[in-house]
Amino acid sequence: MPKGEDPSDAEVVATVLAGDVEAFGVIIRRYEPGLLRFATRMLGSRDGAADAVAEGLVRAYRHLASCRDPNRLRTWLYRIVSNRCKSELARQPTGSISLDDAPPLPDPDNVEMTLERAEQLAMVERALAQLSPDKREAFVLKHVEGMSYEEMAAATGERIPTLKMRVHRAREALLRALEEAE
Amino acid sequence: MTPIDPRVHRVLDGDEKPDALDVSLRRQVQRLDEAVALLAAAPCATSVAERVMTVIARPTPTRARRLVHWLLTPRAVVLRLRPVWSLAVAAGILALVLFPLPEPGIALREGEGIAQFVARFPGARSVAVVGSFNDWRPESIPLDDSDHDGVWGATVVLPAGAHEYMFVVDGERWIADPLAERFVEDDFGRENSVVIVRPRRESHL
Repeated sequence: MPKGEDPSDAEVVATVLAGDVEAFGVIIRRYEPGLLRFATRMLGSRDGAADAVAEGLVRAYRHLASCRDPNRLRTWLYRIVSNRCKSELARQPTGSISLDDAPPLPDPDNVEMTLERAEQLAMVERALAQLSPDKREAFVLKHVEGMSYEEMAAATGERIPTLKMRVHRAREALLRALEEAE
Repeated sequence: MTPIDPRVHRVLDGDEKPDALDVSLRRQVQRLDEAVALLAAAPCATSVAERVMTVIARPTPTRARRLVHWLLTPRAVVLRLRPVWSLAVAAGILALVLFPLPEPGIALREGEGIAQFVARFPGARSVAVVGSFNDWRPESIPLDDSDHDGVWGATVVLPAGAHEYMFVVDGERWIADPLAERFVEDDFGRENSVVIVRPRRESHL
């Protein structure tokens, strides 16, 4: 792996597959923040999200050789973590998610604004939690993770028209929930 | 569900500029943009990098090495039998627990083998293994962490063959074993870990 420059995903994958376990840390540093954010929004639980991402990354390491296109490593990782999240959701009795009850700590300089922001976030998270896992996944990948529909198709294995429909339905449901809550 | 005006979707998909929308539609775009900004900036799970690197840096012991380790380490045998397996099997296992053999081995019946479940869950209050061998009942086979180092384990005698399983942490979190040699999707599209128990006659010991 070349030193002094940012290696491509394909270069990092090749280095790991050549036996350099530590190089997998590059992949973790590069994609972990997004995966944690995605899993937290999918599961509503930071503990559950940490488990899903940890299991997903270990699984990715063990099956790295099967990543057919290392240049699309990001969507491959999202697919693994998404499957972990869906497995977890499917095991919950109601299929729904239980949200963490931990609002951000108030900023001592502006407590009122921080609390208002926490209330708004709680409202949005509740609305997101009401979506089906498929719609929630599509909305979060599109808008929170900023993926294109092509990337979403690679990350989910779904067809683009299906994903567009889910995103549209998710927007409508969210907007209605937010309007009702205001 | 009230459909959103298609122009709003086109703006949100980046296909049109929001300037073309009237005030009410622009407000819808703004509401969703604000919701997304909140979700993107909201707290999320803390890093698992160290946890992952610890697991992947650890060499995976071979099955033979794990069996040798099990034989050299004193452990309690946790065993549950289905009623149909007859009282004779239960009596035999009970005798083994009460009067352990002097040799480093365990008496297995024909077609049985040993499965050792080990997992690291620091801070967990309880860990159990559930699987096709105990009808996925979490209370059936608890794992033990008597030295409180976060490494939980149980050794179970099972019928030879492939068994699907998962861990249940604190009675509520179902987690696949990241160290499992195989994974398989169940009928619901979820992934279970798989342990393959070899019968006594195939043991290398």
